[in-house]
Amino acid sequence: MLLAHAVTLAEARSYVAALADAALTTDASIEYDRVLLQIDFIHGDYIPGISPVPVTDRNVLFEVAESAIENLVRHGIDSLTVELVLDMLWAARELDAP
Amino acid sequence: MYGETSGMLREALGELLRQHRIQQRIGGAGLYTVPETTTPDERKLIGEQIARYRYAVLVWSHQAMRAANPRINLEGSTGRTRGPAEQLRYRLEATLGAIEVTLPTMDELVTEQPFALVDTWRRAACACVLGEHDFANGVGYGRLSEAQSRSVIKDAADVVRAVVSLDRRYANIPGWQALKEPGRLGRAAESCVTWAGYSESDYTVDLRGWRPEPTLIEGPGLPGITGVLQAQHNLLIHLGTIPTAHNLRVVLDSQRIVSRETARRLQTVDPTVAVRWERRAETYGRLVHETRDLGGMVGNGGPAAGQGSVAAVRMEKLDRGGLSDAPQVRRLQRVSAGIDDRICNVIEQGVGQRLYFQRINVPGLDAHNGELVRVTRQKFVPITSPVQTELLAIVRSDLRPTPIQRKAPKGAAQSRLDFEGALHHRPPPRGASPDVPSI
Repeated sequence: MLLAHAVTLAEARSYVAALADAALTTDASIEYDRVLLQIDFIHGDYIPGISPVPVTDRNVLFEVAESAIENLVRHGIDSLTVELVLDMLWAARELDAP
Repeated sequence: MYGETSGMLREALGELLRQHRIQQRIGGAGLYTVPETTTPDERKLIGEQIARYRYAVLVWSHQAMRAANPRINLEGSTGRTRGPAEQLRYRLEATLGAIEVTLPTMDELVTEQPFALVDTWRRAACACVLGEHDFANGVGYGRLSEAQSRSVIKDAADVVRAVVSLDRRYANIPGWQALKEPGRLGRAAESCVTWAGYSESDYTVDLRGWRPEPTLIEGPGLPGITGVLQAQHNLLIHLGTIPTAHNLRVVLDSQRIVSRETARRLQTVDPTVAVRWERRAETYGRLVHETRDLGGMVGNGGPAAGQGSVAAVRMEKLDRGGLSDAPQVRRLQRVSAGIDDRICNVIEQGVGQRLYFQRINVPGLDAHNGELVRVTRQKFVPITSPVQTELLAIVRSDLRPTPIQRKAPKGAAQSRLDFEGALHHRPPPRGASPDVPSI
């Protein structure tokens, strides 16, 4: 795993985890955790840890997580897999709507 | 189980103790109304067969005495230095050593005997053969409490009393091999019973012993709550092996969903139970949070993760009234408590044996990874190290189910009382009808 990939992955994981923590409903939190599990499943066990994120706004968190997941395509993850993860992310977002 | 096998043995011996006029029961002469159907030679063979079954019963008694009171070396001990249990074991060893028969073969155990009396002996021997497995599966010294050990000793001593009592009754069978020193053996058994009766017995021992291994419920998914139970049951079995960290996370996530959906469906049916499920969901939610950076590649757990996901999906698809059946809800509760217990053990074992690690990022780049491009340095640290998470605390304080205080099975005391009644049973006087109380 190259540095850029590791940074993108760490960003995706950290922001999805932050979304799960900040979700308004438990159902949404569960869905975000599923997204996190799926990202980890794609990468196997060699993945960077979760770091604290500097923002708390859910919209910002979502935008950053979405773009980080989209960027995984540039690091050898096939686009169908990434699309499926993004779909899971959007499904979670729908449950998280106030 | 011990209760089952020893109950079968007591039942068979109790039946034998109530049977008198042994010669007539194996086709011998003695009744004008019933013709003689066997020759003395045939009765001798029947006697040998009974002796083999009796040998199996005595072997069981000896094994029970060893399991409950395993003083290893009785050599050099005397009657004064041996306690009641050791004395009985010593007498049993002497008796078994003097018997010149072999254990019944499998054919003899499974083939039904033409005479009811011999067949009852066969059932007693079968119970003993099945009961042998119990002593290596939970009915052994160190696993039993003192009261449970006393119950096992008393059961064995009662069985010996019955065998001694029957031995006298069978003396007229041609070629019958009597027990060696039956008086001493009987007295040893009686002292043992008296000694064991000084304190309270604990019949929860009946729940111990061998039981068949639970197997997977294969086949297509069952409908409704039964399908959820099927998946949860299979998950519990698959959790017998350590899962990898990722699969463990999937299992935790699935249990959170199952608990949450169950609580939701039970809100209207049983709010008290729903609160308990809600609490379980919350505990699993915290576990999911704490295991986000858990690493560990040892183990498998793929099938467990699969069954967990199936259980979660089936529970999500269950209709709102799907949990109105109270017994099914109790079953779900029981199997879920088993899963909780197993997950507690898995995490404790994984942490203790360092199969699971906490993944942390270290500030700076890894300069020694052998690649041209430097990546963020990562470190895997034991969960018990100073960066420890709340994982173990949650497992120990919130997840682990409260141990169940087991009660003795309903028929445990009654079975022993019936056997005691059979031991003290006396034949009705001649001419009296056994069913009508005499004046």
